[in-house]
Amino acid sequence: MTHPTAQSADIALVLEGTFPYIRGGVSGWVNQIIHAYPEHRFAIIFLGSRREDYGDFKYPLPANVVHFEEHFLYAKGSSNEEPLARAGDPVGHALVQRLLDALAEGPANAQAMRAFEAVVEQMQPGGTVQLTDFLYSRRAWELICDNYRRHCADPSFVDFFWTVRIMFQPLWVLARVAQQFIDVRAVHCASTGYAGFLGGLLAQTRGVPLILSEHGIYTKERKIDLFKSEWIRDNRNIFQRDPTELSYLRQMWIQFFEWIGRYCYQRADPIIALYEANRQRQVADGAPAERTSSIPNGIRVERFSPLRADRPAGPPPVLCLIGRVVPIKDIKTFIRAMRRVVNQRPDAEGWIAGPVDEDPTYVEECRNLVRSLGLQQNIQFLGMQRVEDLMPQIGLVVLSSISEALPLVLLEGYAAGVPTVATDVGSCRQLVEGLDAEDRALGPSGTVVPIAQPQQLADAALALLGDPVAWHAASRAAVARVERYYTDTLMFDRYRQVYERALTYAPGVA
Amino acid sequence: MLLDLKFGLAALALEVGAWSSASLLAEHSDAALASYLVVHALASVLLSLALLPLIPRRLAQPRLATLALMAGFSYAIPVAGFLGVLAAFPVLARYHGRGQVADFESLQLPEFDQTQRRKSQFRQAGLRSFLGKTEVPVPVRMRAIAALQHVAGRTAAPLLRGVLSDPNDELRLLAYGMLDSLEKRINRAIGVELNALDSAAEGSEQALHSAHHLSDLYWELVYEDLVQGDLRAHAIRESLRYCNLVLQQRSDNAALHLRRGRLLDESGHADEAEQAYVQARALGLPATRVMPYQAQLCFGRRDFAQTRALMQRLDQWSALPRLRPVIDYWNLT
Repeated sequence: MTHPTAQSADIALVLEGTFPYIRGGVSGWVNQIIHAYPEHRFAIIFLGSRREDYGDFKYPLPANVVHFEEHFLYAKGSSNEEPLARAGDPVGHALVQRLLDALAEGPANAQAMRAFEAVVEQMQPGGTVQLTDFLYSRRAWELICDNYRRHCADPSFVDFFWTVRIMFQPLWVLARVAQQFIDVRAVHCASTGYAGFLGGLLAQTRGVPLILSEHGIYTKERKIDLFKSEWIRDNRNIFQRDPTELSYLRQMWIQFFEWIGRYCYQRADPIIALYEANRQRQVADGAPAERTSSIPNGIRVERFSPLRADRPAGPPPVLCLIGRVVPIKDIKTFIRAMRRVVNQRPDAEGWIAGPVDEDPTYVEECRNLVRSLGLQQNIQFLGMQRVEDLMPQIGLVVLSSISEALPLVLLEGYAAGVPTVATDVGSCRQLVEGLDAEDRALGPSGTVVPIAQPQQLADAALALLGDPVAWHAASRAAVARVERYYTDTLMFDRYRQVYERALTYAPGVA
Repeated sequence: MLLDLKFGLAALALEVGAWSSASLLAEHSDAALASYLVVHALASVLLSLALLPLIPRRLAQPRLATLALMAGFSYAIPVAGFLGVLAAFPVLARYHGRGQVADFESLQLPEFDQTQRRKSQFRQAGLRSFLGKTEVPVPVRMRAIAALQHVAGRTAAPLLRGVLSDPNDELRLLAYGMLDSLEKRINRAIGVELNALDSAAEGSEQALHSAHHLSDLYWELVYEDLVQGDLRAHAIRESLRYCNLVLQQRSDNAALHLRRGRLLDESGHADEAEQAYVQARALGLPATRVMPYQAQLCFGRRDFAQTRALMQRLDQWSALPRLRPVIDYWNLT
């Protein structure tokens, strides 16, 4: 597939694991934003894990994307070069040593940040901290051994060694990308993490402004993966282990992501969250409070408002979960809740509408659960669907996620007059019950339940479906809420200002 | 009070009278002695009557004996006895006031008290309240949750579930991740066995084996407390279904009869459960394995006599150390 290329662009969008390869909240949002500003020329850098983890584009590139490039951080090296024993660069080694000494003082110190900036600058091609030195030099080996002896609480050196290698290797890929990237006037990251690191590096080396819009909180989502992952081993035996501590290697990963998040925060201005709680979380993670603000998502209400007329008079007994079938959406809780719903209302149906190709193991687990609960007749995996087709047929939009930011599906349901039962994550409570007094006065547009509590989720859904008066009241509140607070025009106006400010920023002034 | 005073004055007058008449008469006749003794005795009794109400009620029991003691004392030791009885009152008041006895005597603690078990005070219950306290710093609670990794699922699951509605995201997610991996292990195995059962010929050895394993796995979900409400009912139903399936072919499996009994009891079929227990016993399962459940079933029916009878029989075995306190409780008195 050939991608557009150009010599320069207005705004570089740095995207990690989302648009255009993945469908979902963030990708949809990126698509919305690019389409909303045809006057700006966008360049996209897509960062992924390995090429084979992604299929084809899920979204066609809009016409104003003039440049697209993709990089895979865990791709097998293409070089056939034989590793060569080497001593390593003494200057680079000294820089890294200075960084490690500074980091020993604690994560939130300006000196460590300066040392880190010095190191990452030298990681670019031609610098003194090179990947080959990191992989093959005696100095790097000694540094790793020394750190293992001094800090590592896990007895396995082999695991420590490979964790270090796997963790830092992608940074050199990104350092090269940053150096070779085309000219842009501003950089916009949709997350911290590797994308945020690249954005920070572009801002640091080129002096361009960096805009950061975080949907979820990257570090937090990484933690979810890390808490659940079975591939990170804990090799401590019963005598070595402090039972209250997570495995050291797990902590290494968490600290790594926290640190590169911090690096991005100290370069980014503005730092945009979707809602207040996430903004506070950013500040807690090291973002300077004066640069943070919240811009909620918005949707094009007109796309959904005609659907309200197609709805049947009473609430159809159909619960629909719209989202990718991935662990973070906790589809299993929805399936379990359906067991109770069906016990109480045998005519009820549960639909799961969303792509099933992202995490085949999880999809398999979900299908097994459906079978083990004997719900084959009541639950359908519909795959990717047009939301407009679904809305008139369903009674409730269900969201069982364990982590969310500001889920667009709720807003889309609202626009079509469908109330919701959602878990109490991200901004869901604000979306369902309202934020300020005026918003609350509209009434609840559904029910909020705790995470991973199928029984409560089911009861809330049954209560709404079984009481047409309450359902219609929630539906009216939903429509009023989305029309007043969550339209795309509100969002576009605010981002227009963000872009204008960034693009009028005098380049070169860091 | 007035009466007491009159008694007192009368006693005093009689005593003085007794002495003075004896000395006034100044004769050493038997009649004088006799009259003295009679009047002295009367005075002693009156004195005792006068003082008796001043003794605290509890000490004045039995009344007649106390009265006799005081009267006897005054009578036997003339003058000194009289004064001694009088003097005894301030002394009594003083000592009695010091060693005030409470209204209640100390109570023995009940023999079987959950909260008084040694060592257990700060185990799950302590951890539960600790995890639930939002004032405790997050990193500390985080470590407490992480420590649950090394605790049996049956103990950890309810604690972790409590954290799921915690306001802190990170704690919630850690607890979720841990619960999820507990449950995933079992559900994955269920998936594998369901596939195996589908592919096996009906009635074959393989099908039987899978059904047995499925019954185990669904029961494990219940036992580890990983399912609640309707899901729990469902797991019990499924476990029972597969259990019955196996028993149709292998009706001599005593352990499965026991499982069947427990499942039936859990789903409210006490009579059938009892049958199953009886069968398990008949097939040779040791009494110590079946009887506790039989006792539980009787207890559930509020048939306490039968419960006690079973518990007494359990007392004859020294097995079941964990059940010991319960057995001891029922065999008390």
